[in-house]
Formats: sequence, structure tokens, C-alpha cells
Amino acid sequence: MTAAATAGPAIELRGLRKTYTKGKKITVAVDGLDLVVPRGQVFGLLGPNGAGKTTTVEICEGLTEPDSGHVQILGRQWHQGDDRALRQRLGVCLQETKFHEKATVRETLVLFASFYPGGRSVDEVLALVSLQEKADARQASLSGGQRQRLAVATALLGRPELLFLDEPTTGLDPQSRRQLWEVVRTFRRDGGTVVLTTHYMDEAQQLCDRIAVVDHGKVIALGTPAELIRSLGAEHFIDLDVEPDALGTRVAAADLEALPGVQATRLSGEQAALTVASVHRALPAVLELLAARGIALRGLATRHATLEDVFVHLTGRHLRDEGAA
Amino acid sequence: MTPRIVRAVALVSLREFWRAPDAVFWTYGFPLLMAIVLGFAFQAQAPQPLPVAVIAGAHADALAAQLRQSPRLAVERLDAEAADRALARGRLALLVRATDDGPVLRNDPTRPDAELARLLAERALRPPADDSAAPLSVEAEDRPGSRYIDWLIPGLVGLNLLGAGMWGIGFNLVHLRTQRLLRRLVVTPMRPREFLLGFLIGRGILVVPEAAAITLFGVFVWGVPFRGSLLAFLLLVLAGGFAFMGLGCLLAARPRTIESIAGLTNLCQLPMWLLGGVFFSNERFTGVLRWAVEAMPLTHINRALRDVMLEPTGVAAVVLPAAGLVGFGALCLLVALRWFRWT
Ligand SMILES: Nc1ncnc2c1ncn2[C@@H]1O[C@H](COP(=O)(O)OP(=O)(O)OP(=O)(O)O)[C@@H](O)[C@H]1O
Ligand SMILES: [Mg+2]
Repeated sequence: MTAAATAGPAIELRGLRKTYTKGKKITVAVDGLDLVVPRGQVFGLLGPNGAGKTTTVEICEGLTEPDSGHVQILGRQWHQGDDRALRQRLGVCLQETKFHEKATVRETLVLFASFYPGGRSVDEVLALVSLQEKADARQASLSGGQRQRLAVATALLGRPELLFLDEPTTGLDPQSRRQLWEVVRTFRRDGGTVVLTTHYMDEAQQLCDRIAVVDHGKVIALGTPAELIRSLGAEHFIDLDVEPDALGTRVAAADLEALPGVQATRLSGEQAALTVASVHRALPAVLELLAARGIALRGLATRHATLEDVFVHLTGRHLRDEGAA
Repeated sequence: MTPRIVRAVALVSLREFWRAPDAVFWTYGFPLLMAIVLGFAFQAQAPQPLPVAVIAGAHADALAAQLRQSPRLAVERLDAEAADRALARGRLALLVRATDDGPVLRNDPTRPDAELARLLAERALRPPADDSAAPLSVEAEDRPGSRYIDWLIPGLVGLNLLGAGMWGIGFNLVHLRTQRLLRRLVVTPMRPREFLLGFLIGRGILVVPEAAAITLFGVFVWGVPFRGSLLAFLLLVLAGGFAFMGLGCLLAARPRTIESIAGLTNLCQLPMWLLGGVFFSNERFTGVLRWAVEAMPLTHINRALRDVMLEPTGVAAVVLPAAGLVGFGALCLLVALRWFRWT
């Protein structure tokens, strides 16, 4: 890995910008995005719908031309030399692809295998994504998840150094998802770099070495999953479920935040989510306060903070700020 | 029936159309453009006189002079063999021959214009006032090789090649683009030319059995003769197929919607259907139309295919048209490669 690290990052993006114009309407898909993806890591792009993840990834793949900005992939730039040699080193799974409808899984893989001399065999990738049983089934007869696995399989054929997976596990059942995680982990263990986008927080948390949270075309947070969670300032949550018409009236967010150990509060309807540094100090105080105000508790759970909380914290605040501006 | 549902469906369908500018253009703009262009093209043309030949021999001069009284007939004098050949190749609507029992008219009544030419000739030769004369004798041209069907079959082969290139290639390429498969392919190390060539071969190989099926049907069911070289025929089918497939690639290089490729295809195909010499001969056109007709690859394919089927034509005679067709296809392909849109 040290050797790989000295060879420079897998991806370097600086000041990346991409807009789409339709008539008078201008959509800024990527808005001055900076990102460095080190080699040998699984790098996650996390963000809500329309955040600009696919646009960013497709710029990296050389599919989309950025309006401006610097793009360097495995030490090279698109259209400045041998693009084909660079493509040989990339594996791509797009967010949405329909392969030849009447081709079988094996036929599709044979087609893609022909592009990569010295790549994996068709049977090998079939086994990697567990599609052996469907090898002779036509594209049209595959389920959504099976199609998704086929798309991943086409990306693995060329033994790429850098693998782009745009929402690879969307639509997969839990077992297939775990299986794909295993594929990604093995790929990384063998020295490969992965860039993946996902909406699944657990996936990002379990699979990614580093994560960039993207919103409105910018990176708004960057770090390992643990760092991101630590950035919340507290690693535990207390989720409360109380009787109707109590939160915000009979007890305010400020009341809860004044309690020892409570760092932040989010109220929504009958639910409150408290970010706390230590559960053993905060919990008795919370229960005491609710009892004192005569508010009946209907449910209570404590849990570790997850990326989900980071995500809601970041994008939630961001959206509110924007609404206020 | 819930009116609200019907209304909502109607609205969404209308918007879907209205918001696709290319669909709107090909639905409204294109027919209008066609009407303007064709209107000018045909207005510029006086009605074409119908070509009639008088076979050289005794009384030929007198017959020709009589026929020339009709301004709608273009009369020429040919020897018997050349006249038969011209009739077979659709360059003549009617033959007139002098015999001891008076003039004999010969045509294939199934050909477009044949009967009109006969009626005009009859009027010129036997004015209606003169009812004392015996009726003219009329022969139907029914020798294999000279009938309309013999002329039609090679044209249908050409038409099929056109369709294979335009729909088989053009339409399918755009379909792959709308499916977003092309963008998946372009991020692989595959070269664009490798893709297009493979696509052409995969689809192009089909034109041979298609052409064979039409030809065999003509030969065995309608008794159409096959007088030239089989190899020359094969060469032409491949060259013609390549020309139209190249054109199909060119048309499919940019469009992102099925409507656009359908429109572009019609733009190319419709004039060739009308004027490419499939259903009626385009050999007699003059002026702008002559120029247009010669610019159409279909004209050249059909002409060469007829040479090979209806006359004892060898490979050497088709090398030039075949090379021209291959050159046309190659040019289209090169431009298509430069312009090709993958995303
Ligand atoms: N071809 C296009 N034309 C116009 N706007 C586009 C186009 N592609 C993307 N956009 C816009 O750019 C923004 C970013 O889109 P992008 O697909 O990158 O989002 P994403 O983060 O991948 O979202 P998702 O999680 O839903 O896949 C969106 O607002 C989208 O509407
Ligand atoms: Mg996306």
C-alpha cells in the first residue's frame, strides 16, 4: 500500500463544476467540488438525491465533460494522451444501464470480456456475483437485483485498478448486498481502489474507508466513518416517543438541551432524538424532566450514533439554513 | 369511464409530444418541407411524355409520323432487339410495329403508364372519327424477362437493402443509445470503429439471405429469369447493403430519440421509394429530377441488379457501380464515426 501511496492519489478533483442548461433554467449539478481519493481505499460518496454524485463519478469516468475544473485519474487526464489505456484500468458500473435485451447473461459478459485482454474469465465473474444459475437467462427475464449484479460483473471483468460503482446495491436483497460487499472488500484487499455512491448508511459505514458527504454539488464533510460520527460531538442517541402535543409546547428543545450530557435535540412530531455524550448521565435527567412535566413516555431507545445521524445533521441543517437565507 | 382520468392521460400524452422538439419537427415541419420541395420539383416539370418506340422496317416512318401527332407521346425508332430490351428495362411504355395487317401495339399492361400509352397511340393511329377501319391489334408482353414483374423483382431486392440499412442499423443504434447501452460501452477500452464495424457485420450479414429469398421467390414462383453472374449479384448485394448501412450509421450518429431517427430515415427513404426506380422507371426523368435520381444510391443499385438479372452481365460490368456504392458507404461511415454521440 505504501508503494501505491507514493504513486499519487487514485483521483484528484479540483474546482469541479458542471451545469446543465435547459432553456433559461440552469441546474448546477457540481458546484466547485474538490476531492482526493487515495489509492487502495474504498471511498464512499454519500448524499441525497440530486446531490451531484452521479455527475461527479461520470466526470471521473470521462463520460461527462466538466464545465471547468481539474480532473486527474490514476495520474492521467482525459483527452491528454491514451484514453484507451486509462479505460483499460477502470471498471465502471453506471447507475442505470440496459444491456442487450435478448442476450443472455453469459453472452453479455463475453461481449465485455472481449474488451479486456488478460482480464477475468466469464465464469470467474459469474461466481463473484453469484449469477451462475442465471448464466443462460436472457436480460429481459432477470430481476432488478440480478441485472444490477450483472452490471457489477461487467465492471469486474478487466481486473481494474479503479472501480466506480454508482449505487451498486440499490435493489439488492440483504444477502446479495452482503455478497457484493465481500466482492468490494476482496477487491480492495488485492490493492484496488473503489469509488462508490450509495444511499445506504450502513453500507457506507461498513464498507468505506473514507466518505465524502456531498450536497448541492459540494463536499460538505469528509473523513472516515468514525471521524464523521465523532464530529457530531457525541456518539450516542436517545430516541424518545411521547404522547401527542407535548413536544415543543410542554417541553422545548432548549429544556432538553439544558440537561447534563445532552448536546443536541431534534424534535419531529411525537419523536425526539437527543444527541448525548454519555447515556448514563443524560437518561435519568431526561426521564426526570418528562415526569416533572407530566408527559407520558411511549417508547425509548438508546443507540450508537450512525452515519445516518451525521447525514441528517449535515443536510438537515444545511437545508434549514438555505430556507432561512 | 372517469373523465378526469381520460383528461389527465390526454394531457400528459400531448405534453410528452409537445416537449420533444424533434418529434414536433418531424411531425409538422418535415411534411411541410416535403410539400414545398416536392411541389417545386414537380411544378418545374412539364408532364413527361410517354416513351413509345416504332420498330424499324417498312412503314415505320409513316407510323412514327402518325404517332408524333400526339404531343403526349415521345416517339423514337429502334431496331427490334433494342426495342425489346428498352421495354424490358422500363425505358419504354409501348412498342409499335408495322405488319401487313396494319400496326401492332405491344406492352405489358401491368406496367404503370402502359395502358395510357396504348390509348394515346390508338387515338393517334385511328382517329375516333374514322370508324371504318379495323381495330388495332394489341399484344401483351408476356415473355419472361420482359414483363413488369421481371423488372420489379430486382427493384424489390434493392428496396430491401435500403430498409435493412435504414431500419436494421439506424433505428437499432439509436435504440441502443436511448437504452444507455452506448454510454456503458464507451467507458470500456473498445474502439468506436470496432463497435460500428462489428455492428455492421452482425446486421449486414443478414442482407444476403434476404436478397436470396426475394430473388428465389421471383425465379421459382414468377419465372423471373436470372441471366447474369451469380457472383456479380452477390457483390452488388453486399456493396449495396454496405452503402445503406453506412447511411444508416450516419443518420443514427446524433439523434437521441426514436422520433428523430424515424424522421431522418423517412427523409432519406421516402424520396428513394418514390424516385429510386423501384416501382416505376426513373430512367426518363430530366432536369432537377434527373439530377436527384442519379444522386440516389438506390438508383444505381437497382440499375445494376437489373443488369445482372435481366441480361447476361458478368462481374466486370458491376465492379464500377459496386465500387461506387462501397465508396459511398465508407464515406458515410467515416463521417458517422466523427460525429457519433455515445451518451
Ligand atoms: N442530463 C441532465 N440534464 C439536466 N440536469 C441534469 C442532468 N443530469 C443531472 N442533472 C441534474 O443535476 C443534479 C445532480 O444529478 P446527479 O445525477 O449527479 O445526482 P445524484 O447525486 O447522482 O442523485 P441520485 O442519488 O438521485 O442518483 C440534479 O439536480 C439533476 O437534476
Ligand atoms: Mg446518481
